[in-house]
Amino acid sequence: MSSIGQAVASVENYRRYVSEQVKKARSDREYGEQLLAQWGDRKAKIVTTLTPTGLRLPRLALPDYDEPGQIARFLAEEGFPGEFPFLAAAYPEQYLEPAVDHLDDHGNGERKHTAEEPTRLFAGLGLVEDTNERFHYLSRNQRSKRLSTAFDGPSLYGVGAAADGVFGKIGEGGVAVDTVEDMERLYAGFNLDQPNVSVSMTISGPAPIILAMYVAAAKRRFGSDVGPKLRGTIQADVLKEIQAQNELIFPIEPSLRFLADMVDYCSCEMPRWYAISISGYHIAEAGATPVQQAAYTLSNGFAYVEYFRSRGMDVNLFGPRLSFFLDCALDVEYVALARVSRKIWAIGMRDVFGADKRAQLLKLHTQTSGRSLIAADWRNNLTRTALELMLACLNMTNSCHSNSADEPFTTPSEEYARYAAHAQAILLEESGLFKHMMNTLAGSPGMKAIGDAVEEAILEEFRQIEEQGGVIGAIERRYQRSQIQAAGHTLERQIYESVRPVIGLNRYREPDDEWPEVHMIRTSNDKKQLHLDRLHEFEKRNAGESERCLDRLTDVVEKGENVFAELLNTVEHCSLGQITNRLCEVVGKFRPMV
Amino acid sequence: MQPIRILTAVPICDGHDSAINTINLEFIRHGIEVIYLGYHRSARDIVRAAVHEDVVAIGLSTYNGGHVEFFAEVLDLLEQQQPSPPIKLFGGGGGTITTEDADIMCKRGVDRIFFAGTSLEEMIKYVKTTFGETAQPAYDSSIANTDRHLARLVTLAENQIQKDGAAKGEPVPGTPAKVIGFTGPGGAGKTTLIDELVLRFLRTFPKSARVAILSHDPSIVGSGALLGDRATMIYSQDDRVFMRSIATRGVAGGLSSATTRCLEVLIRSGLFQAILVETVGTGQEAIPFGIDKDLVKQAVMVMPPDYGSRLQLQKIAMLDVADLIVVNKSDMRGAKTAVAEIESRIRTNRKGQKLLRTQANRHRDPNVDQLFNLLFGTQSSTVKMVTSAP
Repeated sequence: MSSIGQAVASVENYRRYVSEQVKKARSDREYGEQLLAQWGDRKAKIVTTLTPTGLRLPRLALPDYDEPGQIARFLAEEGFPGEFPFLAAAYPEQYLEPAVDHLDDHGNGERKHTAEEPTRLFAGLGLVEDTNERFHYLSRNQRSKRLSTAFDGPSLYGVGAAADGVFGKIGEGGVAVDTVEDMERLYAGFNLDQPNVSVSMTISGPAPIILAMYVAAAKRRFGSDVGPKLRGTIQADVLKEIQAQNELIFPIEPSLRFLADMVDYCSCEMPRWYAISISGYHIAEAGATPVQQAAYTLSNGFAYVEYFRSRGMDVNLFGPRLSFFLDCALDVEYVALARVSRKIWAIGMRDVFGADKRAQLLKLHTQTSGRSLIAADWRNNLTRTALELMLACLNMTNSCHSNSADEPFTTPSEEYARYAAHAQAILLEESGLFKHMMNTLAGSPGMKAIGDAVEEAILEEFRQIEEQGGVIGAIERRYQRSQIQAAGHTLERQIYESVRPVIGLNRYREPDDEWPEVHMIRTSNDKKQLHLDRLHEFEKRNAGESERCLDRLTDVVEKGENVFAELLNTVEHCSLGQITNRLCEVVGKFRPMV
Repeated sequence: MQPIRILTAVPICDGHDSAINTINLEFIRHGIEVIYLGYHRSARDIVRAAVHEDVVAIGLSTYNGGHVEFFAEVLDLLEQQQPSPPIKLFGGGGGTITTEDADIMCKRGVDRIFFAGTSLEEMIKYVKTTFGETAQPAYDSSIANTDRHLARLVTLAENQIQKDGAAKGEPVPGTPAKVIGFTGPGGAGKTTLIDELVLRFLRTFPKSARVAILSHDPSIVGSGALLGDRATMIYSQDDRVFMRSIATRGVAGGLSSATTRCLEVLIRSGLFQAILVETVGTGQEAIPFGIDKDLVKQAVMVMPPDYGSRLQLQKIAMLDVADLIVVNKSDMRGAKTAVAEIESRIRTNRKGQKLLRTQANRHRDPNVDQLFNLLFGTQSSTVKMVTSAP
């Protein structure tokens, strides 16, 4: 049985455990009283806070249970925020303002912020300087600088800007990064060695090469011992590339090996870095249903853990360095999808892999749905994103990107990127929904019913995958791909046939809906040429060293040593395209699945 | 009326294939034959495929930007090839292509850009009305030996329109092409295996040596077809490779009624050292190259290890006819058993059939090297192999 089948069994066992706990609480008098006392104790310890209008509220609201069975069920099935099985939240407190006990005459209390804001906005455009400028603009009002980097096509496919026929793609849809020097310029002005800066990079196929460039650039700027101080995330999710996003470079086996080398290295040398972000976002964007998104993401996660362990890596060392990334759209499943995912992950990690508490946490980044944004009557996209954002926060996501309304047309303009960031601030800072209490809207019977249905549907998907020999077996049979594609076709058909209302498109259509006068973000040919010139200059300057570096890299690959550790040297003298080409010669190319 | 043939693809450094997958299926439903090249494809690969497939139009779905330059590059390369009638280019990119972009692209020669919100019906109507009547007459012989000339001869042969004995006549002098047939059930990995053999061909033989692939996909009479073998090929996207996809148009058994004629055209061109014919995924009864294999010099049967019970094996007719039997996906559970069972199945044939196990999806699989050597007689074998005694 693969880890997926074991995960199903562990969740089913856990359900039995919950029932037994309830039964025990009701039949074992002593245990029941113990629970009642514990419950009363917990409740009494909950801190209260004053709202600006003078209302006193508990920071965590507990249901009015006075019967041990109900209490046992709550504790085992949902748990307190930050406690197993983490249904409510990964941490005891998220989004909350510091508690206030006294208000002054003006209704103000002292509020000193310590926690990070969840806001993390994705940006990438043109040359590194352009993106750097955008990073500074987006984070100018944030206490914590949480940057998120989008790469252009040539970088995502690892071919590099000098490849045949890619000139037009340089700096389009993301930033062009080909060398360690680009990496230095990209984050100029940000103190990458400081705890309030974290950097996310959305790239998977060439992730080890790109992260090696990031680390090498940081060492150049902050000294060779900066590694342990670096905070951030690199996506590096190769399995979802095969299933949905189509940006894989090497065949599955070497891709997994390069990934494991990087995760292994980071777990030991860069303990504050997340070397993988197990992603459902692109699966959902490719058309998957919410349940498929969660099921494929979680099963990919378990497959990675199984693979890393087979290489002798310690689950309690790498487990806490796994992170997750989910899409949030408007379907009703999203009321509870991330909550349930957190629970299944925790149970599986604990009971299948014996992971400790830190390794049980599903730490989540959410992005609102790009697919839900449409060109017709496009300002409605502001509303869509706002609603999705609220659903994401209802699921206590740990960080969040809200899309810009103009994304059906272009890389976000500064104006709409600002509105997107402000939507988060309005929800979390201006509105009282999330800042006073951990669970203002959580725990309704409806939310529970949705969660239960979603949980069972995810397990059913797991069973399908297990029947095909686990995640890799199912991938080789095109299972996830065909399911995602079929769901995508159904979705399009439903929209086309108006079964699924899309306002402004198949309902309430404006007869003279105009195209927006959005400012298109494009990279000029001069800039593209400048980038290319820099790349050529780098390669020319390093011509004496590059071949030797690539040979050494080849050697490391063939000997089975840690490739990531060697890439840290390779990137000093070689460009992305040079390294990718060499690695393809050694391990082959990924054969596309369609 | 012959079906309209078009080629679709997603440009280089772009993996957004969700839209094109939906569009492809709608095209097929409406009787169009779609040769799908897949995603992350260069302009050079797209134009080469369009010329070889002799399509009337190319449809590109783009989302990652750079479309103005990319479409222009495709047009540049098409103009260098000078197909007649010109192969038209259309495409779309949701909201990423602005009206200003579209103006520039259409001025440059793009036939049509579809904007966000275009219905699938509208696209189908466009393809049917624009390309439904496109005539593809023979080229004059002044451009003989070009790929577009050859591709047109194949089109005429496929549609059974032969002029001036285009497909007949004296054979061209030179080394006669070695024709190798590949057949086997769907999912056995035929396409991957062929692509890996092509890689070895390109590396082994001098730059002047070319290889052709004739690849079949199923379709029923009057309906469209998705010809998708090219999409999973890596090494066969090369100027030394001429690849053509054929829909069976209702013919059962693995090949099309036009296969013989098309093959004849390729052989007579004298351009190829080898021609690889890939059948559709076949059933137990299929003997696509005939009992006497008059169509091919060698017939290769590609089997997956999971064919079912030993009894099923007895029913597979091709195991009596093939020169070479390859058990591919040898990393799968049951591969060893499969080899043993097939070995005992063919032993009684006493035809000198060879049996190999390969893992074509493994980089530099030495067993694929071995298969290549056997087919092309390039090296003595070093890998252990089973042969049923003659």
